[in-house]
Amino acid sequence: MSSVLNRASSNFLWRHPWQLALAIVGIALGVAVVISIDLSMESSLNAFDQAGKAFSGVATHRIIAGDGGLDEKLYRRLRVDDGIQKLSPVVSAYVFLSKQADAGFNLVGIDPFIEKSFQSIWQTRQNKNTSADLLTRLITEPNTALISEQTASRLGLNIEDDLTIDTDHGERQLKIIGLLSPNNAVSEQVLSRLIITDIATAQEVLEMFGRLSSIEVLIDKNQPDAATTSADTPSLVIAKPVPDRLLADTPSLEIAAPVPDRSAAYTPSLEIIRKALPGNALLVEAESQSQAMREMTRAFSINLKALGLLSLLVGMFLIYNTMTFLVMQRRGLIGSLRSIGVTRRQIFKLIIGEALLLATIGTLIGIVLGLALGQGLLYLISGTINAIYFRIDAASLMITPLQLGKGALLGITATVLAVLPPAFEATRISPVTVLVRSQLESGIRRLIKAANLISGIFILGGMALALLSGKSIALGLASIFLLLFGFAMMTPALTLMFMKLIEHVFGRLSGILVRLPARMVSAEISRTGVAIAALMIAVSATIGMDLMISSFRQTVADWVQTSLRADLYVSLPGEKMPGTRAEEDQRLKAKLAELQGVKMLSSVLHTNTAIARDGVYAEAGAAAENDFTKVAVFELNEKSRQGFIFKHKTDNTLWDRFEQQQTVIVTEPYAYHHGVKIGDKIRLQTDQGNEPFEVLGIYADYSGDQGHLAMSRRNYRHYWPDLGYSGIGVYAKDGVDLQHLENQINKLLTGQQSVQSDQAIYKASMAMFEQTFTITETLRWLSAAIAFVGVFSALMALQFERTRQLGILRAIGVTSGQLAVLITGETALMGLVAGLIAIPVGYIVAYMLIFVIYQRSFGWTMAFHFHSGVIYQGLALAVIAAMLAGILPALKMSQTKPAEALRSE
Amino acid sequence: MSTEAAITIQQLSKGYQESGQRHEIFKDLNLQVSLGEFIVLLGRSGSGKSTFLNLVSGIDQPDSGEIVINGIQLTGLSEHDRTLFRRHHIGFVFQAYNLISTLTVGENLLLPLELIKRTSRQERNNVAKLLDQLDLADRFDTYPDRLSGGEQQRVAIARALIHDPDVILADEPTGNLDLDTGQQVLELFDTLVTKAGKTLIMVTHSPEVLGKADRVFSIRNKSLVIAREGVYAAGL
Repeated sequence: MSSVLNRASSNFLWRHPWQLALAIVGIALGVAVVISIDLSMESSLNAFDQAGKAFSGVATHRIIAGDGGLDEKLYRRLRVDDGIQKLSPVVSAYVFLSKQADAGFNLVGIDPFIEKSFQSIWQTRQNKNTSADLLTRLITEPNTALISEQTASRLGLNIEDDLTIDTDHGERQLKIIGLLSPNNAVSEQVLSRLIITDIATAQEVLEMFGRLSSIEVLIDKNQPDAATTSADTPSLVIAKPVPDRLLADTPSLEIAAPVPDRSAAYTPSLEIIRKALPGNALLVEAESQSQAMREMTRAFSINLKALGLLSLLVGMFLIYNTMTFLVMQRRGLIGSLRSIGVTRRQIFKLIIGEALLLATIGTLIGIVLGLALGQGLLYLISGTINAIYFRIDAASLMITPLQLGKGALLGITATVLAVLPPAFEATRISPVTVLVRSQLESGIRRLIKAANLISGIFILGGMALALLSGKSIALGLASIFLLLFGFAMMTPALTLMFMKLIEHVFGRLSGILVRLPARMVSAEISRTGVAIAALMIAVSATIGMDLMISSFRQTVADWVQTSLRADLYVSLPGEKMPGTRAEEDQRLKAKLAELQGVKMLSSVLHTNTAIARDGVYAEAGAAAENDFTKVAVFELNEKSRQGFIFKHKTDNTLWDRFEQQQTVIVTEPYAYHHGVKIGDKIRLQTDQGNEPFEVLGIYADYSGDQGHLAMSRRNYRHYWPDLGYSGIGVYAKDGVDLQHLENQINKLLTGQQSVQSDQAIYKASMAMFEQTFTITETLRWLSAAIAFVGVFSALMALQFERTRQLGILRAIGVTSGQLAVLITGETALMGLVAGLIAIPVGYIVAYMLIFVIYQRSFGWTMAFHFHSGVIYQGLALAVIAAMLAGILPALKMSQTKPAEALRSE
Repeated sequence: MSTEAAITIQQLSKGYQESGQRHEIFKDLNLQVSLGEFIVLLGRSGSGKSTFLNLVSGIDQPDSGEIVINGIQLTGLSEHDRTLFRRHHIGFVFQAYNLISTLTVGENLLLPLELIKRTSRQERNNVAKLLDQLDLADRFDTYPDRLSGGEQQRVAIARALIHDPDVILADEPTGNLDLDTGQQVLELFDTLVTKAGKTLIMVTHSPEVLGKADRVFSIRNKSLVIAREGVYAAGL
């Protein structure tokens, strides 16, 4: 294309730098939000994956257990009796540094002199001082540990310094005897939250005597038990030192090459292992755990990404709006170009080329912004995952070219899609006559009629999709997008109606200047309509989110209040172990019962139980093979039973059957995710084989989105060993001073054990609820900020475009103050109409979020709690955002000299 | 025509900066216009005719010099006061009509009245009457871009006159019109302006107009030069 032709177009852009800048800002913000969410979510999950793989990189399988861990005799039996050599025992738990605000560490106890073929990586590059010395000391000296150089530097520690950690059982001292030096970013992140000790030290420090957390297993599919020395994941197994490496000082971490194919079939070794496993243990593929974690957070991830896409949708409106402005403003220019022989194709290419350039610049800025924003979101996302799913430690973003590429593609595609309609519009401009505004606007009005029809189709389509899409979260979100898009397309028509009404009502009572703002909105509906639609989408999303969160908050508050029946709750955290530790719990419970002010007790044990492999549900089909399910083991009294909110009618026999028969009750999310109905039988793997448990009831529970089973302690103890308690509810006698009782109980507690009143627990629960929604709130505001930029951009462009018109008003005697009021009045009207449309649309969004998305994502049902404040807030947000966006254009135009304004094109 | 001075311009200078260089449009320009006088301004394109009208109306400000209209020193007023002055005392007919596209014909005429708080039923009737006079009676509720060029110019003239200003400034009011329409517009000026004793400064190249003007000036060498005067002008 001719460079002069390009200049004719680009010169226009340079002469309107504000519009150019705002278009780029719009694209950049949309891309930044999507990229930041993607990066921070992936980084959080990757951190989990990497940490998990840090000491099992070459393992193909893993033996894991429910609470209580594995008896270390199992390891000996498999290795010695069954001859399976490639096994690596692991003891691990989260610990905290004493008196430091630093985040938690994963304390991992390993066998440093493990079978050589199992060793991966970590030490293959050990340099001169690594060492048998070091590793020998790790084994022979009690309470010795290795940490990374970065951790040591962060904590101001050196070799031979002591490190004091807080475990579930109190403070413990470890001596740092060596520093690990990571050799890439991933290993640095993995090591940054790791304390490595020998197995015996870990067992002692964590009081897991004779127990293991897991056993890593390496099985080669083709050659069972053959040595394999490479891995595709980072690994942290310390090698048995060899003589020529005796001088190495620090072990290092590196990533090894991938293994060609190691998908494990059931080799004889695996069968041997399976047969040897106790009832609370499972043999799982190493990869399946991280897949399970990803699956667990899938709903959360989809919801976040949907919010990001909502931002991009608003951003697309903004881009469409800006590009439409840029095309329409150049109708004269395009008409002139066409009249001298520039073809439609050339005009189309000109506009698309321009959009591609803007998209590239905007996307690049968006990527940089996204990286910065992602770092901030990482903290929030990790916090939420920690609160509701599992423990992760994501310190920094893990940036991959794929994610950046996805963001770039999204930004450029969205921009080009958004610019297609105005580009086609530009090609339709007649070379002879440049349409006058009234013809243009009447053309737009015809388009609005078509848009109304399409919006009707979108809305009906959205509703149909919501009804017919089963349990699909993605289709549920798509239905919300269709509805939002439908209402957005209807916005210009509704705006025209609203402005006509305003004129009708106020026009008779007041003068032309009062009528003019409404007239300006209607007269330039091609510009104002899109800006109002963008604002409406953002505000309706805000109202919808607000209503959903407040409904959820109220539901959870009601649930927590109902559930908390005891006066005081004793929390007994930490790894649940049979034997001594369980007996300690029993003794504590007995002491509590003996306290003078205590009327009665209830208890709960939170544990995991393996679901049987051979068909889980009588009617609902099989659950995932090799899976644990959370189980709450209750010892209930009359009062605590009232704390259960069943989702169906119950009869008087329920609690009797719960106590006396082989039954369970399940939480609502569990029933939803597993398709469980009352009367179904769930088969659980017990030490005595697979046993069916009949589902008696389904009850509300908002403590997690995966759900769990609940059974009576009597039932549990019939099949599983005593693991003690996770919590004990204390019911005080009438008139007892609760504070005094709390003090008495406190004296009986040790280590991490604590006692809290029901109100303190209520407050803590609600605080956790708020923390969970921090990320949602943040993204919601980001989306609103993008809409604000959109409206600001549209208004700036609009005012620039009508500079001459405003100059005429000034020439005939309208003062700069009146002009500012006129422009602000127009923007306020735009905000008002956006807010008014956003209220019903926001309600629909809230309804969809509560009854479609959240139910499908988390299995929770909640009551729709209306609160009128949301309406006023939404309306105020729309009007204030629009008015704020209008202030600068109003000031700028009112300060423009009338002579200059009259000279403008 | 009264001998009382309606407009006094003294030592008026105006210039602009372009590419770092200053370009003078006027330098030390002087003019005195009597009440009810009809002045025509000639000049090449870009000579500063429109700038002159902008300065006289207070839309633009001179770099130096004084403009006094009806005893009010325009150059001493703030931007806000000049706007208020303009809305009461000046009627401006733009070459490109400059009607407010978002207002109907009737509203375009009512707006100047509303700005000076003349919103009585009588004023509305006056608007209707004026539109009738201009053969635009059926166009009260029509938007400007539905009108022909001649119709738009007649509305622009009506808007400049509706609030009964002392001074009317017209920038090539017939420049975009065909001969017949231009003639109509000139007759309109003759009827509504000169016969009503209004002071009129018009930028035009129309020979018909030159004949009706009291004085004809040309902008040359950054100053006003009298081209024809009085009877001589009338004889053209």
